[in-house]
Amino acid sequence: MKVTEITATEFQSMIRMGARRLSKNAEFVNSLNVFPVPDGDTGTNMNLTFQSGAKAVLESDSDHVGELAQKLGKGLLMGARGNSGVISSQLFRGFAKNVEKKASLSAQDLADAFAAGVQTAYSAVMKPVEGTILTVAHEGAKAALKAAKSSDDAVVVMDAMVKEARKALANTPNLLPVLKEVGVVDSGGQGLTFIYEGFYEALSGETTAEEYVPSEGEMNEMVSATHHQVAQTKLNVDDIKYGYCTEMMVGLGKGNATEPFNYDTFREHLSHIGDSLLVIADDEVVKVHVHTEHPGQVYRYGQQFGSLDKIKIDNMRLQQESIIDGASEIVQEAKPLADFGVVAICSGEGLADLFKSMGVTYVLSGGQTMNPSTNDILDAIKAAHAKSVIVLPNNSNIFMAADEAAKEANVDVAIVKSKTVNQGLTSMLSYNPERSLAENAAEMTESLADVVSGQITQSIRNSKIGGLEIHDGDWIGLINGDIKIANKDQLQCTIDMVGAMLDEDSEIVTLIYGSEASESEAEEVAGAIEDKFPDIEVEIHEGDQPLYPFLVSVE
Amino acid sequence: MAVKIKTKYGFIDIDNSVIATVVGGGATSIYGIVGMASRNQIRDNLNGILNRDNYARGVVVRQDDNGVNIEVNIIVGYGTKISEVCRNVQAKVKYNLESMLGLTANAVSVIVQGVRVIGE
Repeated sequence: MKVTEITATEFQSMIRMGARRLSKNAEFVNSLNVFPVPDGDTGTNMNLTFQSGAKAVLESDSDHVGELAQKLGKGLLMGARGNSGVISSQLFRGFAKNVEKKASLSAQDLADAFAAGVQTAYSAVMKPVEGTILTVAHEGAKAALKAAKSSDDAVVVMDAMVKEARKALANTPNLLPVLKEVGVVDSGGQGLTFIYEGFYEALSGETTAEEYVPSEGEMNEMVSATHHQVAQTKLNVDDIKYGYCTEMMVGLGKGNATEPFNYDTFREHLSHIGDSLLVIADDEVVKVHVHTEHPGQVYRYGQQFGSLDKIKIDNMRLQQESIIDGASEIVQEAKPLADFGVVAICSGEGLADLFKSMGVTYVLSGGQTMNPSTNDILDAIKAAHAKSVIVLPNNSNIFMAADEAAKEANVDVAIVKSKTVNQGLTSMLSYNPERSLAENAAEMTESLADVVSGQITQSIRNSKIGGLEIHDGDWIGLINGDIKIANKDQLQCTIDMVGAMLDEDSEIVTLIYGSEASESEAEEVAGAIEDKFPDIEVEIHEGDQPLYPFLVSVE
Repeated sequence: MAVKIKTKYGFIDIDNSVIATVVGGGATSIYGIVGMASRNQIRDNLNGILNRDNYARGVVVRQDDNGVNIEVNIIVGYGTKISEVCRNVQAKVKYNLESMLGLTANAVSVIVQGVRVIGE
């Protein structure tokens, strides 16, 4: 068929076919979208834009092509969505302006109009990026002009234009590195090519395949492209709403298929389970890529339509974390939850090791003068990675924060209210992972009463307490939190304090020396105690704790 | 004024001119934008389109606890759907800030300072 004159009838038919072909393939265009903002909606945007233009043209009863083109331009402008939509509206605005006064178009008019559209489109951009819809439009129009020189057939012109547009489209990855990286062509350019193909079909009367059916290789590329986009945008692990990147291929009608496959219903259903949804289907297989919290649901749903093939689940939160924090976190997260975890709060590496040696899972650094916040404790509870967690605050100032954290935590938490590190250590002796959380908490809390805690620290001002005169720089001994002893000599003060702590039931004294005391000093104190009280056994541990040279427990 | 990001190794200070360049580069690559405009045309006495070196004059960055608020002053080409072009600028600027600087923009306000008529 040869078309030497495009009248209103042909023009309307071109627009109808262009719109139809684009709309059928909008989903495919979405899947290509990686640039400039990877949000996968170029196809949707272009489609909505072009539908708006097509509606204006098809509702008009004008038989003047110039008028129809004006309607198209205006409809596109009104409905412009997204970057590609704005560009398309400009392309056809220039087109419309060029044919304004023409009642019908010759092949040459058509080519000129496309060229004018490209010129208008380029004028509204500061720095045209080559390898986009603009390039495709530009190359296509150039070919149309060339064809119009040797033929007065609009079909020939349109054919040349479609062919060149396809060629330019295929070349876009070479012009834009971001496209090459993910192995796709430009989405906007693809959308425009679909429109041109529709035009060609309308003029030539030939119908080509309605829907673009990608090969399996292309399917895989698109899936990885979609995945790539998401990885780029979700920089923060907390921002990942749907954590599992889930893929499946369903062999339609195979296996235990119970439902007939319908693309729209299928897609609609999955869109409620997750996002970044990509569904590509032909008669035999449907390939699905979706980000969801419930991969199982996706697979169960897919199975209704056929047998599953090539299933894959990636935990994107872990992938993201591994990028941010290195691999160590993954090991921690990947471990199944333990039944019990114990969090102890103390400062000093030695104390931390002591607690760990007694079965504490996580030591949170803190104590006097550096109380951890509710959030810190909450994080520690999470880090303990267990179904039930016991918290040892080891300082009465931390009780409230710990209580708050226990309320906030989404696992069972019991706070054993140890006021001192000594109490905390002693309570660990009653800890038994075989028992329930309530039993442990009760036993451990009970054991707190068995221990007398002594702490040696230095006074920072002059004061008078309970008949004791204390000078700045004096060493003071606290028994169960109350100041009982003051002395200028650190060791003497410690020995006196231990003496005051002992009674006839006492059996064991545990001496933990801090970063401001040495092992030999601890031994000196131990020697003095053993000399005075031969029945008492003294244990010495290195605690590294700051501010308190000696922590003493008596049991 | 600069945006401070705290990391476990220390602080990262990102000067506003860096943000302005990222914002300006992103905005001007959007179709329909023909240039950046000065945010204060009277004071700057720049009645035209800013060139790449002084994008900072067209971008205002305000920081609060949760991120940054950006104001972009632009000039658009005549005949485009201005509201849509601005929406595209917002999306692009937000994306660029997140991908290049790891900054979350709470608000990207676009102020259209002018419209250029070209080749009509």
